[in-house]
Amino acid sequence: MNVKLLLAAVLAAPAIAFAQAPNDAQIAHIVVTANQVDIDAGKFAQGKAKSKEVKDFAKQMVTDHGAVNKQAKDLAAKLKVKPEDNPTSQSLKKGGEENVKSLKALKGDAFDKAYVDHEVVYHQAVLDAIDKTLIPNAKNAELKDLIVKVRPAIDGHLQHAKMMQSKMK
Amino acid sequence: MISVNRRTALAVVALAGAAGLWFATSGVAAGPSAKHTVTIEATSYKPETMTVKKGESVTWVNKDPFPHTVTAAGNFDSKSIAANGRWTYRTTKAGEFPYICTLHPNMKGTIKVE
Repeated sequence: MNVKLLLAAVLAAPAIAFAQAPNDAQIAHIVVTANQVDIDAGKFAQGKAKSKEVKDFAKQMVTDHGAVNKQAKDLAAKLKVKPEDNPTSQSLKKGGEENVKSLKALKGDAFDKAYVDHEVVYHQAVLDAIDKTLIPNAKNAELKDLIVKVRPAIDGHLQHAKMMQSKMK
Repeated sequence: MISVNRRTALAVVALAGAAGLWFATSGVAAGPSAKHTVTIEATSYKPETMTVKKGESVTWVNKDPFPHTVTAAGNFDSKSIAANGRWTYRTTKAGEFPYICTLHPNMKGTIKVE
């Protein structure tokens, strides 16, 4: 395993930290941002990945997270909740931009590996945030339900990315 | 009289044929007790385990907003089932067939064929 690349992936995906318990408007914003960050990485990787498997995974991330974002935006509109920007969303966005920036410098197998490594770390970080912060703090039942229902998909992406990662070693 | 009857008979045959075709293409199981449905929702199969008789069909209905697969390596593979899509498999041999979603490998289900 390329330790340097893995380290770069870990550093580019900071743990999703919360200064204080987020409210529903902030949670909605975090959900949308977390999806968008992975859509952006997926769109980039779709065009640049070397292997078909990684390309297909990137395409799947765009589809899956795009569908979840539509659900989240529709629910926010229905509940008349205006997603509110917050430091967690900002740090997610910044981490995503840094990831794409570091991916731009790579190509071929090194690109595929760095993208997949980051996907593993990122989905694990999102899962942790879902379990420790988003689900426990969501007040609105429908918002909480949406996050609960989305959780297994995030776990699925994590397992899928880990499977690809194990084949790359 | 005879010709009318014949025409009626022909019409009945034609209708039956069309209905058969409709059943065949819409994925509805044709057997008397063969209609089994597994719902795919929240990235899981419900029910996770289903027991059917050999020759019966199972239809998976994807209620998630993104695609899934129903894949038992070496036995059956739906390939991608789109959001709101469905896929039907007619069982052909007895046994226990564990399957997964290749897109979300944490999704696991089993079809037991008696």
